[in-house]
Amino acid sequence: MSEEVENADEEFEPKIVGLLCNWCSYAGADLAGTSRIQYPPNIRVIRVMCSGSVDPVYINRALLDGADAILIGGCHPGDCHYIDGNYKARRKMALLKNILTTLGMEPDRIWLKWISASEGQEFADTVQEIVEETKKMGPNPMKERWNL
Amino acid sequence: MIYELKVEEDAPMTVNNFLKELLTEGEVDAVIAMTETPSGKSAFPTMISHPEKLSTNVFAPLLPVSTGTVVSKVTKVKPPKKTLAVVLRSCELRALTELVKLNQADLENIILIGVDCSGTLSMDTYQGQDQDITEAVLKNESEDDLRTACLNCKDPVPKNADLVIGTFGADTDKNLFLDAKTEKGAEIVSALGMDESEGEEVREKAVQDIRDEKEENRKAFIQERSEIEGPDKLLEFFDTCVNCHNCMKVCPVCYCNECIFESSIFDLEGDKYMKKVEGKGAYKTPTDSLLFQLTRFNHMMLSCVGCGLCEQACPSDIPLMDVITGLADNAQELFEYEPGDDPEEELPLVVYREEEFEDVEER
Repeated sequence: MSEEVENADEEFEPKIVGLLCNWCSYAGADLAGTSRIQYPPNIRVIRVMCSGSVDPVYINRALLDGADAILIGGCHPGDCHYIDGNYKARRKMALLKNILTTLGMEPDRIWLKWISASEGQEFADTVQEIVEETKKMGPNPMKERWNL
Repeated sequence: MIYELKVEEDAPMTVNNFLKELLTEGEVDAVIAMTETPSGKSAFPTMISHPEKLSTNVFAPLLPVSTGTVVSKVTKVKPPKKTLAVVLRSCELRALTELVKLNQADLENIILIGVDCSGTLSMDTYQGQDQDITEAVLKNESEDDLRTACLNCKDPVPKNADLVIGTFGADTDKNLFLDAKTEKGAEIVSALGMDESEGEEVREKAVQDIRDEKEENRKAFIQERSEIEGPDKLLEFFDTCVNCHNCMKVCPVCYCNECIFESSIFDLEGDKYMKKVEGKGAYKTPTDSLLFQLTRFNHMMLSCVGCGLCEQACPSDIPLMDVITGLADNAQELFEYEPGDDPEEELPLVVYREEEFEDVEER
């Protein structure tokens, strides 16, 4: 925290929460690491068993606590380890984004991406893209709110 | 087929007598119907098996609890072996249909009697009125007093009932309609031997008119309230939320048996709170009021039947329907889903199509 205050004049570095499915996206992130593919260090990865298991409560919590972007990573459609978890995740995210849109709460901070275990480069590119886009959006305004 | 109930004394008494006949003729073994409490301050869905104990007023303009929730309680563990008739308003029926889809109610041996709804009043307004309030609401004389949810009702005409007691299109001093919607309903009517009504066309027109009126109200209301958006206005809106979770407890379609916000998952060690506060430097307590609201919206919005019990239960008088009405319509439109409409239709979040919502992946 103190470090952030000191560097306040420097370029905004978004904090990204990554919720990655155990079977595909998490392994993809692992591959990016073991293949020594460079990607921005802005993402904090949390492993989940399936993108379909990501309840909106986790995303809302990260958003309200001030995360600048949230990535939900799952297997490509048709490849879900649990057959259809990612399709259900897509419906949940569609609802979440719809609700955030109605409330004027920046649905664009939420990203849903399909990244397979063999797509280390895709994972690195995705993080790069999220960092760039989030820098354009600026910091999450909820970060400064204490009254919620 | 539509039949006629001749009004003797007044409309509530007529329905009371009809229910009495159901019990004495052995068509049903018990009923659940709105009954005024002895003090007259309130009315509750009441379960009655002895015909002489019937003193119902199914038109009492009050919604202290959703009868959908009551039917869930009675049938969730195991539905009764004997026959139970339940009288419900349209929003209660919609809630019950959603609960059936959620496996939290079972309609075996249940006879659903819907009743046209002219709207309900707040607890305070109801208590402050004299005895004729039922008639005033029935005759649309108290429209200004109706709860917000009722003014903007999704549909005041019951769907998915075996029988519908109709007031729309009827002169409630003279007659009521009895519409047999299912085979079960028709069997009961034929057992009791009732007269067919000639007012079917009049009723259809009246029903269409009230549906159109409510839809117009609802659209205008949503448009008017659409300015509540963005962090500033949203936080101001929920500023007085005391995090009591009453809205969740009374919600007929808030379906989790144990709400995550009532679980021990938010019971953290002191050090976790100390770490949490470091993130922002300051935190209002109890924490997570807005997180609770946002998450609740995600869980129940597609099944929201618009009963407005959440708003009625709020001790801080937060006009929740100002936000929820628009949220529900937008979300339900996105999934082309109408809660309480079709019992055979699956809940949107348990099904999927391979090709849909691809714009969600764009970002």
